[in-house]
Amino acid sequence: MQDCTYLIVGSSHAGLTALDAIRMIDPEAPLIMATREDHLPYSPTVLPYVVSGRSIPKKVALRDEDYFKRQNVAFLRNAELKSLDVAASTARFEGGANVRYEKLLLATGAQPSIPPIPGLKDAFFHVLRTMDDALNLKSAMGSAKSALVLGAGLIGTHAAENMAEAGVKVTIVEAKGQVLPGYFDKDASALIETAFRKHGIALEFGRSVKEIKQGRAVLEDGAELPFDLLLIATGVRPQLSFLDGTGVKTANGIMVDEMQRTSAANVWAAGDCAEARMFQAQGTGVAGILPIAVEQGRIAGQAMVGDHGVKAFPGSVLLNTYSFFGQQAISVGIGEVADGETCLRIDEAAGTYLKIVLKDGKLMGVASVNNPIDPGILWQLILRRTDLSEVKDRFLADPKAVGRMLMSRLWR
Amino acid sequence: MTVQTKAKGKIIVVDGNEAAAKGVALARPDVVAVYPITPQSSLVEALSAMIATGELDAELMNVEGEHSVLSALQGAALAGARTYTATSGPGLAFMFEPYIRQPGLRLPMVASLVTRDTLTPQCVWGGHQDAMLVRECGWIHMYCETVQEILDTVIMGYKVAEHPEIMLPVNVNHDGNYLSFGVTSCELPDQAMVDDFLGPKSINWHAALDPERPMSVDPLTGNAGGAGPSMFVRYRKGQTDAMARSLQVICDVHADWAKRTGRAHAPLVEEYRLDDAEIALVTLGSMTGAAKDCCDALRDAGKRVGIIKVKTYRPFPVQAMARALSKVKAVGVVDRSVSYGWNSGPMHHDVLAAMAKSGFVKPCVSFIGGLAGADMTQSHFERAFDIVAKGDVPPGPIWMNEKD
Amino acid sequence: MSAYNSLTYNASLCIGCGECMMACAKAKTGSADDLSQSRIKIVVAEEGKYEAALCRQCGDAKCVMNCPSGALTKNQANGLIDWNADTCVNCLLCTVGCVYGGITFEASVGHVAKCDTCGGDPACVKVCKSGALGYVTTAAIYNDYGKEEDLFAPGLAACQGCNSELMIRHVLRKVGKNVVVAAPPGCIPGMGTVGYNGKAGAKVPIFHPLLTNTASMLAGLKRTYERQGREVTALALAGDGGASDVGFQSLSGAAERGERILFICFDNEGYMNTGMQASSATSFGSWTSTTPVGDKLQGKRTDAKNMPMVMMMHNAAYVATASSVYMEDFYEKLDKALEASKKGFAYLHLYAPCPSGWRFPAGLTIDICRLMVESNFVTLWDYEPDRGLVFTHPTDKPKPLESYLKAIGKYRHLAQEQVDRIKKLLEDRLAMLKRFAR
Ligand SMILES: Cc1cc2nc3c(=O)[nH]c(=O)nc-3n(C[C@H](O)[C@H](O)[C@H](O)COP(=O)(O)OP(=O)(O)OC[C@H]3O[C@@H](n4cnc5c(N)ncnc54)[C@H](O)[C@@H]3O)c2cc1C
Repeated sequence: MQDCTYLIVGSSHAGLTALDAIRMIDPEAPLIMATREDHLPYSPTVLPYVVSGRSIPKKVALRDEDYFKRQNVAFLRNAELKSLDVAASTARFEGGANVRYEKLLLATGAQPSIPPIPGLKDAFFHVLRTMDDALNLKSAMGSAKSALVLGAGLIGTHAAENMAEAGVKVTIVEAKGQVLPGYFDKDASALIETAFRKHGIALEFGRSVKEIKQGRAVLEDGAELPFDLLLIATGVRPQLSFLDGTGVKTANGIMVDEMQRTSAANVWAAGDCAEARMFQAQGTGVAGILPIAVEQGRIAGQAMVGDHGVKAFPGSVLLNTYSFFGQQAISVGIGEVADGETCLRIDEAAGTYLKIVLKDGKLMGVASVNNPIDPGILWQLILRRTDLSEVKDRFLADPKAVGRMLMSRLWR
Repeated sequence: MTVQTKAKGKIIVVDGNEAAAKGVALARPDVVAVYPITPQSSLVEALSAMIATGELDAELMNVEGEHSVLSALQGAALAGARTYTATSGPGLAFMFEPYIRQPGLRLPMVASLVTRDTLTPQCVWGGHQDAMLVRECGWIHMYCETVQEILDTVIMGYKVAEHPEIMLPVNVNHDGNYLSFGVTSCELPDQAMVDDFLGPKSINWHAALDPERPMSVDPLTGNAGGAGPSMFVRYRKGQTDAMARSLQVICDVHADWAKRTGRAHAPLVEEYRLDDAEIALVTLGSMTGAAKDCCDALRDAGKRVGIIKVKTYRPFPVQAMARALSKVKAVGVVDRSVSYGWNSGPMHHDVLAAMAKSGFVKPCVSFIGGLAGADMTQSHFERAFDIVAKGDVPPGPIWMNEKD
Repeated sequence: MSAYNSLTYNASLCIGCGECMMACAKAKTGSADDLSQSRIKIVVAEEGKYEAALCRQCGDAKCVMNCPSGALTKNQANGLIDWNADTCVNCLLCTVGCVYGGITFEASVGHVAKCDTCGGDPACVKVCKSGALGYVTTAAIYNDYGKEEDLFAPGLAACQGCNSELMIRHVLRKVGKNVVVAAPPGCIPGMGTVGYNGKAGAKVPIFHPLLTNTASMLAGLKRTYERQGREVTALALAGDGGASDVGFQSLSGAAERGERILFICFDNEGYMNTGMQASSATSFGSWTSTTPVGDKLQGKRTDAKNMPMVMMMHNAAYVATASSVYMEDFYEKLDKALEASKKGFAYLHLYAPCPSGWRFPAGLTIDICRLMVESNFVTLWDYEPDRGLVFTHPTDKPKPLESYLKAIGKYRHLAQEQVDRIKKLLEDRLAMLKRFAR
């Protein structure tokens, strides 16, 4: 049995940010960071770039060994959390090692969710969540001529682009009617789709796979799509079997309060494994995005170490940045709201798009394609519910300049 | 009392102040802080001279007043120094603020009080009023009768003060004028013997201001609630317990001294011709000499009288006093100071309280004499014996020099 | 962690000339034509008013936290957020993390760009005529002493905005552990530095002397260590009551004897720990709880005793006045005082405005300290017997005295003749000091 003050499970954004927040206040207390990975910490977000070759595995580490030494942290690799005894504050890892903690952070992220498509179980397919996944996909890509991607979310579109750039003939099948549903509306997506089609990627919207057979997918309508390589990118969900029998409350993720506390004493959760309040919607949800993992990790770390500066999690605002074929798309907040006011500017020729949604003089969301904005500032304007009535016209005309002016005045 | 001399030291001819200085030098203090005041001045002059010549290897601090004298010595003790100073009357009054702090810090030291009456009326002569005013401050008080006893008691004082079970400051008191300037011969103990007697110094093992042993010395302690009240009581009780324990230590130290020097000063209370006495006088300090002479003369005349000399006044030796008092029918207490609130001498209460505590009461007359350097002669004591012998106890004190 | 030099922007001075952006664009691209290439972005707020967006080189930078590829890092050596073109994957998540618009996507170059302070010599600052942009280097002090251990316990119970707590922590960082500290009754032990009920407030030996005997007690201690052949710093952290009132005799005596002590007086002009009573250091006209304001009395009726001058007249080995607004100056003086205290008596007089007792908002302590010096209410100087007096922060064009007096509640009642008297006193004192200056 190993004892520690702080145990952090998961070594990605949420876990690392929490670690930094703890060490800011308490540089000494025994701290263990455990990951099931064999690698130094890395971000899942970088994996498409590993697949494309833009990044190489040994250059994407978010921290090196020396960091852990400096921070006086025991970094355990190949340590998969198997079960917890929250009453005894003990965590059991693969291979039988036990750790007794005073405070535990679960930052185990999410795993690809595999749809129950007949035949898929027995087929060979790829996913993209871990470094090993990325390396497998990269090497498979070399010999594949055609690839089928299920799902046109961030992971599917990223991977599709990587493969298309590598000369693979790619088809994306997406049940919804557009790419990146949830972040962009149809107009913005159309601009993105144009780029995809221009690069030879076939987009099959509103269709779904009925069955996977050897080297081909059978669609609902009976059409068959052959492939050398199959990538499943139909979404992610936290894998929480280590909580079995603990009574820790979960829904889609581990339920947490505004300090990232779970229902169990001395256990916190943050990032893709946590289900927290939403800022612009009722109820709770798993945000599943990197900036929120960082936010939550920081709050959890501060709460665990008793940092008086900790501020409650205001709720997840959905936001994302997406680069594709050298172009950029950004979305912050929500794209549609009842009784809202929408300002839309599209220049199809230039391939630019900007949509600003306001309600009662307050910002609800901004989406842009090839139209640089400052998402960090806009996020703050949403969180602060800043009243834009007085500068509304100027803001709609130039959200970047007016956003910066407001920043400089309000939270400089 | 038969005195059996063991080790003959050098015989010197000195007054009480010089004897004290000689005793101090033999005790090898590290730091001596001085500020002159009558009748103590010649004592610190003698010490300064010894340090100047190198006879005494100590740090001499000529500070700007008695308040700083004792303050400096407290700092020194907290750094591990054995310390010494001497003062009198108004000097003691000015020293009062650090004085009342010394026992609470449990810092051992010896300080001579060359006793002097307090102002006002303005006066520069002997009397015990200064020492009596500080009798409840937690210092051990020992009064000397002779020049030799001064020299010996200064040395013994360190042994008592630094005893690990005691750790309290000791005032060795000798009377201004009579003892401070009275010249006699006395024996100067051998340095090696004194070194062996005192042993190694250990001053600040319990409370130190030393970067090698960082600690907070004297943080705020007390107030209602929390750890405060009980902690404060613990400190106070520790002090009073140490005072109580010191009676035995004083006896042991005197016995050890007697073994080494052959000089057996009574440690707490001296019973002089008391065994078959009917009445006795209780005395303090140098007056005892004249009292004993008077006692001898009355004995020669067939009167059964005796003397009870108090050596250790704080802590008050209740048992030793009760044992002495049990032998007589009536007693007179001769104070060289007054207790304003009781209209008697201060030691008078101590004697009354000792009797009450021991379960008996005997006629006990208060005498006050020798104020501001007044003589206390055989005839004064003869009169005192007469009054005690009559058996009635007047409501107020008998002022011995009222008609001198 | 260290502190670093940084770019500062004062919106109220900015005239929107755009020179900084041109200089930046030129420095970064070789041409000043495309202002969108500037990493500092000046924006129009309203007619004639401007604001700026630029990288703050944050301590715990969100852009770094949000970077999935390790392309952004906090450079521990110079404090900059470094961007690595080689590992950047252009995901723009950094721009989501930054709430200051400090790192932005630059379409013309196809990647994010941010300020790198031109390697410590920012082009924008050099061309700024209005003074809106600055490049401040004061954090050097922090780099020198920030890594030194704070030898007082955290959570001392000083009032909000307490200048003394700030300064005692600085003092011990510099002095280090080989010290014995004496903190006579007052705010300093009152805030818990010596401790409460068996719990210590400092990590060094510390003592609660009497209000009256700090200097003599330390003198005895120091002499003992000297006798033992040990070099230990004897340090007093006293208030003005413990220095200029009841503590004065022992202080004067120790100075006269040249005891090897460093005595620091934190002058908050009175007994602020016990309810703001006046001391001999309280300035003329001040309201205090013992110099109240009414029909008959209008605050303190006498001038403050000029302690630093008095100590100079003792011919102490070193005497200086200092203020927490000029920390380099303070540290220099502390250095000299420490050195001098090995040979003789060193006295540092630190002006310590007290928000609770003087009645000004706790957030303004440092501003008040500054105003105090800039209005010549106090004068910063140091003195060594062989060298004489040197003014270390001469204020030739002082701010109006009224600006200082008006900022502080305890002077609110002052009548014009009282203000005039203070003015006259300050002039006289300055003239007298000047006679000592070499
Ligand atoms: C291909 C891809 C592209 C993405 N692109 C974007 C994007 O553009 N923008 C965006 O905002 N987000 C993106 N994301 C999502 C983003 O990466 C996540 O939101 C973020 O990494 C969440 O961080 P986290 O620390 O919560 O969890 P994760 O990053 O998932 O890390 C969890 C860690 O826990 C470890 N772990 C899991 N279970 C255990 C266990 N039982 N025991 C021990 N260790 C365990 C894992 O190995 C991993 O190291 C992308 C994700 C992927 C996969």
